[in-house]
Amino acid sequence: MVDLLPAWLADGLGDEALFWFGYLTDGRHLAWYSSVQFTLIAALLGGLCALGFGLLGAGMVGSRALPVRLFGKAYVNMVRGVPDVLFFLFFPLAFEQGVEWMASSVICSPEDIAANPGRWPPCPAANWILGTWEYLLLASVSLGIVYGAFTANVIHGALNAVPRGQIEAARAYGFSASQVFWRIRVRQMWIYALPGLSNVWLLLIKATALLSLLQIVDIVSWAGRLGAPNFTPSAGLVHPDWRWYYYLVLLLFYVLLTFLSEKGFAALTRWAGRGMAVAEARA
Amino acid sequence: MKTLLLSGLALAMLTVGASAQTVRLGTEGAYEPWNFMDANGQVAGLDIDVGNELCQRAGLTCEWVINDWDTIIPNLLAGNYDAILAGMSITEERQQSIDFTADYSPPDVSRYMVLTGTTIDFDSLQNVRIGVQSNTIQAGYAGDNLAQGNTIVSFEQAPQALADLSAGSIDVILADESYVTEIVANSSGGFELVGPEVEVGGGVGAGLRKSDTELKAKLDEALAAAKADGTIDSLIAKWFPQREGPFYLN
Repeated sequence: MVDLLPAWLADGLGDEALFWFGYLTDGRHLAWYSSVQFTLIAALLGGLCALGFGLLGAGMVGSRALPVRLFGKAYVNMVRGVPDVLFFLFFPLAFEQGVEWMASSVICSPEDIAANPGRWPPCPAANWILGTWEYLLLASVSLGIVYGAFTANVIHGALNAVPRGQIEAARAYGFSASQVFWRIRVRQMWIYALPGLSNVWLLLIKATALLSLLQIVDIVSWAGRLGAPNFTPSAGLVHPDWRWYYYLVLLLFYVLLTFLSEKGFAALTRWAGRGMAVAEARA
Repeated sequence: MKTLLLSGLALAMLTVGASAQTVRLGTEGAYEPWNFMDANGQVAGLDIDVGNELCQRAGLTCEWVINDWDTIIPNLLAGNYDAILAGMSITEERQQSIDFTADYSPPDVSRYMVLTGTTIDFDSLQNVRIGVQSNTIQAGYAGDNLAQGNTIVSFEQAPQALADLSAGSIDVILADESYVTEIVANSSGGFELVGPEVEVGGGVGAGLRKSDTELKAKLDEALAAAKADGTIDSLIAKWFPQREGPFYLN
């Protein structure tokens, strides 16, 4: 990377600055920077999943059919109570085994199964090897399920916050049930839901620091590796414990992410408040 | 949910198909100079050089998979990769669950490392905080022989133990001599080796599933050839300048 600097800049920086520039742009550090993609993808994909599960959950909780309502309530209450770390470890493993079980019922011949007694999966051909991207997908879905339960609660509350008079007025104008739901309730609920949703989003961003639990070499994992003391010159710069600095960078990264999220949600709130009585009253 | 499962299944088939040709080698990537991430962000070290050498000789296409030390044997058994090359000593306990190739690094004693100037009475080892990496031969040894009256502190990665020793949170580290010798030599006097040599474990070999007899035969054949022509010795000398060879060349 040092080679890419123009000569006048390299001369102006001096040897020490160049050394640190070289250190901070070596392959390991570049890999660290690029591992931010895992965090961002997990956050965005997890956020989308959470919104999907949240809308679904809110729909179920508000459903008139008793079994659907009970299922929705069970999802929202049970998943909210389970520590996200636990769910993060449980869901991908359970899903992997489920897929392997289904695959084995298709692929494995009885002879294969007999040849591998007591092994999982029942035959080697049904083995599903999870790489970084598969784990990332499963991690995103896990985040979606966990934070979808919170989102469902927020959205359910927001749907109920839409003034009843508006719904009655829409019915009086001859709107069908689905038109009332989508055009009156869902269209107006965002302004009530956004404060709660921004909370859930920030919690979800924080949970992306768990990615390293699923063998994803993410920013947290890299920070630990880069900061760990090294006394072997063949393995790079010899230095004592520097994890403190690296974790500080992560801290600043998450603060920056929070700051940007707040900006984003402020813009969304302005968007959702267009023409709304609530927003006008506030302004 | 059904489409999710089906797409997962499709993905699984793809991965199953792709894995048929390549041999996946698992390593930790945090135990220099055995295995670590080099300045280019790639795995490097003795394990990696030996693995690549064996794959080349056996005509196998290999790729490296990074896995935490803690779960490195379970994930081999689960099929996430086909062999472990991670400075893993051949022990009877491990041989109950997995197989090993012949050793590609000879048996290595374990040593105690302290901050320079620390005095420890090894005749009656008491009230000492001893750092080990979890699931290692040293962790097993310390748990069996040193737990009485001392505190055994387990770390998931070896460098974490090093950091805690520097910070004074533990008094001493028990680890492979090959590992601590390189550290002492490069710590400009910060660390020193003390006390007796502890003999645990055998040589370092590649761990394999017991069912993979074909892969074991291929790797063992390649390893025997690489030992006979001095390649393994030169690799050990390259990564462990403090160790005195040759070990395998007569």
